[in-house]
Amino acid sequence: MTTSTATRSPAETRLIEAFYRLFSPSRNGEPGFLRNLRNEAIDCFQSLGFPGKKDEAWKYTSLSGVLREPLTVQEQCDPPASVHGIAGLDAHTGVFVGDTRSDSLSSLASLPEGVIVSSLTSAPPALVAAHLGQHATISGRAFVALNTAFLRNGAFVYMPDGTVCEQPIHIVHALTGAGATLAQPRTLVVAGTGAQLRLIETVEAHLSGSSLINGVTEIFVGPDAHVSRFEIQDPANHISVVSTLDVYQNGGSHFQNNTFTFGGNVMRNNINMLPDAEGCETLLHGLFIARGHSHIDNHTLVDHAKPRCFSSENYRGILDGHATGVFNGKVLVRQDAQQINAYQTNKSIVLANTARMYAKPELEIYADDVKCSHGATTGQLNEEALFYLRSRGLTLSQARTLMLQAFARDIIEKVPLQPLRDALDQRVAAGLMH
Amino acid sequence: MNTDTQYLHEVAASDYEHGWVTEVVSDTIPKGLSEDIIRLIASKKQDPDWMLENRLRAFRYWQKLEAADQRPNWAHLSIPAIDFQNISYYSAPGSKPKYESLEEVDPEILRTFERLGIPLQEQKLLAGVAVDAVIDSVSVATSFKEELSQLGIIFCSFTEAIEKHPELVQKYMGSVVPYTDNFYAALNAAVFSDGSFCYIPPGVRCPMELSTYFRINEAGTGQFERTLIVADKGSYVSYLEGCTAPRRDDNQLHAAVVEIIAHEDAEVKYSTIQNWYPGDSGGTGGVFNFVTKRGICLEDRAKISWTQLETGSSITWKYPSVILKGDNTKGEFYSVAFTKGRQQADTGTKMLHLGRNTSSTIISKGISAGRSSNSYRGLVRINRKADNARNFSQCDSMLLGDRCGAHTFPYLETSNPTAQVEHEATTSKVGEDQIFYCKQRGISEQDAIKLIVSGFCQEILAKLPMEFAVEARKLLAIELEGSVG
Repeated sequence: MTTSTATRSPAETRLIEAFYRLFSPSRNGEPGFLRNLRNEAIDCFQSLGFPGKKDEAWKYTSLSGVLREPLTVQEQCDPPASVHGIAGLDAHTGVFVGDTRSDSLSSLASLPEGVIVSSLTSAPPALVAAHLGQHATISGRAFVALNTAFLRNGAFVYMPDGTVCEQPIHIVHALTGAGATLAQPRTLVVAGTGAQLRLIETVEAHLSGSSLINGVTEIFVGPDAHVSRFEIQDPANHISVVSTLDVYQNGGSHFQNNTFTFGGNVMRNNINMLPDAEGCETLLHGLFIARGHSHIDNHTLVDHAKPRCFSSENYRGILDGHATGVFNGKVLVRQDAQQINAYQTNKSIVLANTARMYAKPELEIYADDVKCSHGATTGQLNEEALFYLRSRGLTLSQARTLMLQAFARDIIEKVPLQPLRDALDQRVAAGLMH
Repeated sequence: MNTDTQYLHEVAASDYEHGWVTEVVSDTIPKGLSEDIIRLIASKKQDPDWMLENRLRAFRYWQKLEAADQRPNWAHLSIPAIDFQNISYYSAPGSKPKYESLEEVDPEILRTFERLGIPLQEQKLLAGVAVDAVIDSVSVATSFKEELSQLGIIFCSFTEAIEKHPELVQKYMGSVVPYTDNFYAALNAAVFSDGSFCYIPPGVRCPMELSTYFRINEAGTGQFERTLIVADKGSYVSYLEGCTAPRRDDNQLHAAVVEIIAHEDAEVKYSTIQNWYPGDSGGTGGVFNFVTKRGICLEDRAKISWTQLETGSSITWKYPSVILKGDNTKGEFYSVAFTKGRQQADTGTKMLHLGRNTSSTIISKGISAGRSSNSYRGLVRINRKADNARNFSQCDSMLLGDRCGAHTFPYLETSNPTAQVEHEATTSKVGEDQIFYCKQRGISEQDAIKLIVSGFCQEILAKLPMEFAVEARKLLAIELEGSVG
């Protein structure tokens, strides 16, 4: 699958040229491993090229329209006047402008001892070298390779062994720029043995052109650690997002991911879980509401490499207008990974006959002593329930909104933070208004 | 647990029953594939000109695909490179390719079918099943033709259909599976040598099961048959298909095409027991079963139902599908796929909802043992105009051993808000609590596993017509004999 120069698309050529322009003179004071990571990544990207419709993983999602724009790689990013955050949420907030932490916008004074929320370049180099690029691997993955190729800095969160962070840590990626921009935020989270962390990740993008945000987050969950992550994606309609999450779980750990997607142009989430030791628990929740011409694609993989683990996945989607929803969830149980319990459900409501839903729940199982199941449904609102609500004096639109909110709440109620739950409820209500 | 594993290993290692070869003089053309070979096949079949043109068109298209390396490689299968020049595309038992009555058939061939449990003579009288038997490339016998023709039913070999009913063949052949459909459909359209043709006139309910039996006998040959079933307005037919092949160390290719057309209010029920030679336990030999099966519910209220029991073939690549074009049409797919040894199966269905108020049901049961790989792959597509479409799919897999794989790849594509699409799948092994319960009641471990597995498939086997259901149960029991452990 090597793309020769002759078959390379203009977008690929532009990006590869940008790489050599930016990085060919050696940059002072940079650790060698970062340079090596980048060089390997650009080679990988050059040989892969962007995935097309023929790639099974991109069967339903095309970025060709987005990549036709002459995207410029973001080099400098001006700080925004302020960031919104989440109303009423008491959190340690780390604001990263472009890829560097902004001290004036962040509020990290009360972090527990030993906990680090910093730029990658100001983090302990040994820790970064041990984890950066180790979980979000580039092989066969063009977008991770592209992100890594332009990696200079990013967000870093470290929880030492046994630390408990009572308040959540909120990472805000503030991205500003004019014209069609390729912004590539990067986050590395390392949670030590028995550490407990709730992490919120949001992007506040003030990008004027039809831009692409290609973000990568990699998380190392130490033995017996508990990590929950909440990602809220709510970009403007001209912005597309490819967001990759790679999680490596150690024995006895618990990891929960919640992705909420509202709007945007083409939205693609790649979520890959690797519970690589016994006794892991993995929960994946997702909610997406797509209207207008939004295209929202959730791609998840739970790779059960070791025995005696549990995973459960629950995704829900509401589609209206000309929107398209995609859910592709895969559970892989490797040979000898016995006694795995893995469950998956995906429910979607299609509201308009111009909207589409593609669901592809997959099971790939190589061990016999397992309990795995998946269920997927696509349907519409129950006529009888609507009738009941209207007979109680609600208008049709009120009845519909109420039912859709109830449908969405199934996912929202998995969020243990009240202010975040309220914010999501409000966002869902706003998203369902006709 | 240990004895349990032992028994499963035995099942996985069990033997193939139909592995013998019939010693009969056969007329086999040289290996290879070229325009000359196509012309040779056409001349052997005494094809009319339009048929030869069809073949050549398909062959040229296939050549293009072959040159561009467009073999389907998306399935969860590892298919060794097939040398299409090393296959003989036509083989007929005896020198006379056509038979007028059973008396002319080589007694050795009749004995072949008797050994396979299809006594043409007897069945003709007793079972009331009309049989068309295809050995290697040609149809050797069709029973019950007289009785059927009184009702206006045409049931004959494809060769005879081309000769006697060219207008029907020309009208329907390739209308559901065009030669451009896929690599193997193109190959089949170019080289197919025989098969079955069936036409049920308007309002006729076919009084007996129609049955075709396929057998590959000669070494180094491929079997490329075509089946075309046309059910005219308000008619009904139940059609059975069975297949076997001798044990050989090299792989044989079976690339068939089945097309079903159901007109207004017609119903077609198609049942298959596929028991091609699966290769030995080490994975040597066996039949590559690359089949394109598709039906179309052309007009309102038509119904097509596929039922299959897949136990044979070293590699199965097969997706019997239904296009629900008319309003209020129904499509069904019931499948049991059993793999053991080093067998690989990637099978499932496609339900394409185009008309309004269409409904489809998919029930698929996969059982894997030994070192086999068993995948369900199914597509449910609800088009924009298919109001009130309904689909229910259920795919359950059972693993008998820790070195096999069971996979589910459903594709659900919905473009209409009134559609209701449901899919569920489970994967598990035979419950230890269930085995324990049976043992406690004095049932041996082996019998308990057989009982549980056959209970697992019960829902599908119950859909098979009587004669087949008995055979299917027997077959499954034999298959299990060597794989439960």
